Amino acid sequence: MFELVNVEKRYMGVHVLKGVDFRIDDGEIVGLVGENGAGKSTLMKVIYGAVQHDAGTLLVDGAPVSFRSPRDAMKRGVGMVYQEQSLIPNLTVMENIFLGFEKPFVRFGAINWKKMAEAARRQLAKVRLDIDPGTITARLTFAQRQLVELAKVLALEERVEGKLVILLDEPTSVLSRDEIELLFSVVRALRHRASFIFVSHRLDEIVALSDRIYVLKDGVVVDVMEAKGADISAIQKKMVGRDINGEYYREDRQAPYDPDRVLLELDHVEIAGQGNDISLTLHAGEVLALVGVEGSGREPILRTIFGMLRPDRGTLRIRGEPVHAFSPAHSVAHGVGYVPRERKVEGIASGMNVFENMTLPQMRNYSHAGVLDIRAERDLAREWIGKLSIKVPSEYADCGNLSGGNQQKVVLAKWRSSGSEIILLDHPTRGLDIGAKEDVYAMIRDMSAHGVGIILVADTLEEAIGLSHTIAVIKDGEIKKWFSCQPKAKPSLYDLIQYMV
Amino acid sequence: MNRFLATDALRKWVPLLVLVGLCLFFTALNPNFLSLRNFARIAISSSPALMVAIGVTFVILMGSIDLSMEGTVAVCAVVFALILNALGGTIAGRGWVALPAALLVGAALGAINGIVHVKLRIPSFMASLSLGFVGIGLSLLITGGDRILIDDPPFRSLLTVRVEGFPLMAYAALACLLVAWFIQDHTTVGRNFYAVGGGEDLARASGLNVGRLRIIGFVLAGVFYALGAIFAVARLGIAETETGRNFMFMSITSVVVGGTALRGGEGGVWNTLVGVLIVNVIGNGMVVIGLADYFQDGVLGLLVIAAVYLSTDRRSLSFVK
Amino acid sequence: MSFIKTYIERQTLNRRTMLLMSAYGLFGAAATAGLRPGPARAAASNGPRIAWSYRDRTNPYWNAIVSGGNAFVQSLGLPQSALINLINEGSSEKSLSDIQSLLARYGSGVALAVDPNDMPNCRPVVEAVSKAGAYVSTIWNKTDDLHPWDFGDHYVSHMTWSDVGPSEQTARVLFDAMGGKGGVVHLGGIASNNPAIERLAGFRNALKAYPNIQLLAVQAADWDTQKANQVMSGFLTRYGDSIKGVHCASDTMAYGVIEALRAEGIEDMPVVSYDGNPQAVELVTKGKILATVFTNPYWAGGITASLAYYAASGAFKPSAEPHEHREFYGPTTLVTTKDAQDFKARYIDTNPQYDWKNFWALARGQIRYG
Repeated sequence: MFELVNVEKRYMGVHVLKGVDFRIDDGEIVGLVGENGAGKSTLMKVIYGAVQHDAGTLLVDGAPVSFRSPRDAMKRGVGMVYQEQSLIPNLTVMENIFLGFEKPFVRFGAINWKKMAEAARRQLAKVRLDIDPGTITARLTFAQRQLVELAKVLALEERVEGKLVILLDEPTSVLSRDEIELLFSVVRALRHRASFIFVSHRLDEIVALSDRIYVLKDGVVVDVMEAKGADISAIQKKMVGRDINGEYYREDRQAPYDPDRVLLELDHVEIAGQGNDISLTLHAGEVLALVGVEGSGREPILRTIFGMLRPDRGTLRIRGEPVHAFSPAHSVAHGVGYVPRERKVEGIASGMNVFENMTLPQMRNYSHAGVLDIRAERDLAREWIGKLSIKVPSEYADCGNLSGGNQQKVVLAKWRSSGSEIILLDHPTRGLDIGAKEDVYAMIRDMSAHGVGIILVADTLEEAIGLSHTIAVIKDGEIKKWFSCQPKAKPSLYDLIQYMV
Repeated sequence: MNRFLATDALRKWVPLLVLVGLCLFFTALNPNFLSLRNFARIAISSSPALMVAIGVTFVILMGSIDLSMEGTVAVCAVVFALILNALGGTIAGRGWVALPAALLVGAALGAINGIVHVKLRIPSFMASLSLGFVGIGLSLLITGGDRILIDDPPFRSLLTVRVEGFPLMAYAALACLLVAWFIQDHTTVGRNFYAVGGGEDLARASGLNVGRLRIIGFVLAGVFYALGAIFAVARLGIAETETGRNFMFMSITSVVVGGTALRGGEGGVWNTLVGVLIVNVIGNGMVVIGLADYFQDGVLGLLVIAAVYLSTDRRSLSFVK
Repeated sequence: MSFIKTYIERQTLNRRTMLLMSAYGLFGAAATAGLRPGPARAAASNGPRIAWSYRDRTNPYWNAIVSGGNAFVQSLGLPQSALINLINEGSSEKSLSDIQSLLARYGSGVALAVDPNDMPNCRPVVEAVSKAGAYVSTIWNKTDDLHPWDFGDHYVSHMTWSDVGPSEQTARVLFDAMGGKGGVVHLGGIASNNPAIERLAGFRNALKAYPNIQLLAVQAADWDTQKANQVMSGFLTRYGDSIKGVHCASDTMAYGVIEALRAEGIEDMPVVSYDGNPQAVELVTKGKILATVFTNPYWAGGITASLAYYAASGAFKPSAEPHEHREFYGPTTLVTTKDAQDFKARYIDTNPQYDWKNFWALARGQIRYG
């Protein structure tokens, strides 16, 4: 049994954890939910030793302990499966599993690889992963890596006395449905070996997997409930502290698109190296969702439209004009905007402030002969900060320091303000909390109302169904099925899934 | 959160505090350090270095590196001197053509550098290092190892004529710094340097032509190296292959000490000014306090490490490569 | 501590010469190929191949050495390109390996003039040459226990320069110009270089005779113009008007000193230097430098190659020569404002026609050790 009693933590004068009590029994799976900033990650860090609490007690089987580092925690059987995966890609699976604990395999200063491989195979069997332990980690799929991470933590079992406590931080965010199911079945099967703390934004998963659920809000545990029979909207209400709008995806604001104005057309396009044949049409005001499992070929379609990939065959037309020069510069000049999945890599320039980020693709409009009109840039930024209620101290704030939601608003404002008429959204709500998600949904509706055509690769199926006018189900690079998504006549999850897998 | 912000704001000023601290330190050991005449001396030794360091600042802001400055400075200096002497030997006459000619040569060498880096996809480190060697070889070929003397009073007035105690060179360098600052903060090109340095993928995804920008960055660097070469010739009245010597260490050190991040996207020409002053104050101060000469190189190295330690934000670096 | 100083010095040297000469290597790959005699040229000369191995050509001193070597090969009726240039870039390892490959190619038919770069490198070079049956003459770097006469005919000769006496002379010129009183500073070469040590020793010797001259500071400026400029600025801050004269260990540093003074509007400070580079002699004629010392690198470059060549061709038998013809000092000539004009006309504006067979015409006696 692992217990936290009245734990307090302050960061730079901010009270992050306020007297948190937390208990996990052997073999139990505990869900932990809360909005971004509720203190979830700090609580996790206290548990696995990455930060030290200011007051309160940690108890393992009733005995007080103190963890000065994650290694201390590991010695007492507390391990973390990281969300940002902690495996080193260029090492083999077994090296990763035993990283820092190679000692038992070392004889006369040399590592006995055979012995290590055998031990690694034993760990991998626990998570039902049948791969060669000598595989280079980079070659594995995300799901396989997640399981290797889990195996790595499970390897603690042999080194510590007592049961393990394993923290799973958003383990499902990069996995497909099948893979999530696989992970869950593995976790359930491991209950006799370990107890789990499971953190996720996806409340349905939390309810499905956990025994009990802790709801954290503003550093306080506001509720602990049995997962059996828990109501998702009730949990949401507890997390946010108010009612979630029943019309979460703003279906009431879904207006019909203009079928006469075609913005984008893919005419028998073969995406580079995929040997497929994609045809689709995007109209003004339309939200077109591409739905499919991870790796089904949605991203290459977006990247082709944005000019980052050159199609092998077929024609791509923007407003009826065939595209010959495939480059982002060309696409941007023709009013295509791209909100990438990797916001930190392709969406936001950290180190640059709000107005600099916003005008990046449209500097031509804010300069004369190469000399910038900074006053106009600032006016633009202030206008959009107001319009989208972006929470920043000023337009000079460094975008790298903003929260995910505010960063995403800046990215959307960047393309909207540059007059993009075709906007490609790749997982636009990934990693955002509920409030920020609602803001993004509202912005999508706004853009749609202004006649912008949107191609959406959504974070969840519900999101795709809720937001779109049209859904294309993609499997193995081909469009398998089209759905019309009129309000009140939307397809169900089941309708889509049967074409996805 | 607030304390974090406070330390961040403070960190921005650390290079300047280091500079002030060094000045106080040297003054304490020898009060002569704190005199207008000595500051003028520091200004003279800083002016050429400042130009070269500004040039490489642009490239570093983009997250690339340029190590060709020694070759470029040597070629520009030699070409400048040859043209000046061939066209009458004074910039008051037709010899003024040498000034734009040197800048053009610098731009051309920068362009070659950028094109090799971008089009042949050779890492900027290797491309520029190799082209730097080519530049040194070229200047040797032009001069045959000889020195070219420049004794044109109007040109040397950069060194000899003083206003308010400082030589004209210092004001000229300041003017160039302002131009560089304008390019950095008020032009699309300057803004784009930051974008490329902050995230090349992002810049590309925002529709910028990253390859072209890199070439522009190297061209701009080449022009500033040429300015550095002109000031270096004005300072010593000699143009030779050796004119380029030491600028690589000096300029890269200055940029880093000034707080511009080698990974790109952070810092700028004002940081570089502070960095150049730090390095030159150390150089001058060690002689002024009479530090034994065999200690000086070692102390310079240690002070540079200390300055980098204080002025860079390593919190964001998990690994330092 | 001295090994540390040596190490630092070599690092400084190597970094600089590596940079400079890698460039030369890169750019001049074609040129170097051109410098090696092709088959056509080889047919034109039946005598031994003549090679000069030295540091680099960026520096006026080595440039003059090579010009002398070129003049010598031309005196044989060969084109300049018949002289094989082995550039060691300040690396003893490269110096030795280049010489070994030369010997591997031409065997005993090699007449080599060489500065072995550092003293320990002299022995392997000489041994390699003598093993191949070729002929070598060295300048500057040699350990004291190594002597040409221990190698029969194959180690032809060694020439070096003693800088103590001439440096003392320049110091005396300086002190006299200062009226025998006031503060003086010395800018030295890389501290552990032998010439730097000797030139400082000469300077200190002169000081003993002038009790009213006050030594303010001695500082290394690494033979470098820019460094000397910066060091002089620092001196001006530190000592201000108490500096009445500057003693420089080389011409290149004197240029930096003069420019540092000019920046302050100081035009009449007595300065002396060393090496007798053309630019320095020019400055002596104008009185900007009061004295420099000419070591005649042009003659040294020619005569060293000539000694090796004529020994290889059999024109004279080194082992039959006295010791003072095997190990000797090179010429040193003090150039002052009085004779600079004349000197310039004779040695700088034109190179005198030397008789390259008159090997010891300018030699200054047998080398003394200890």
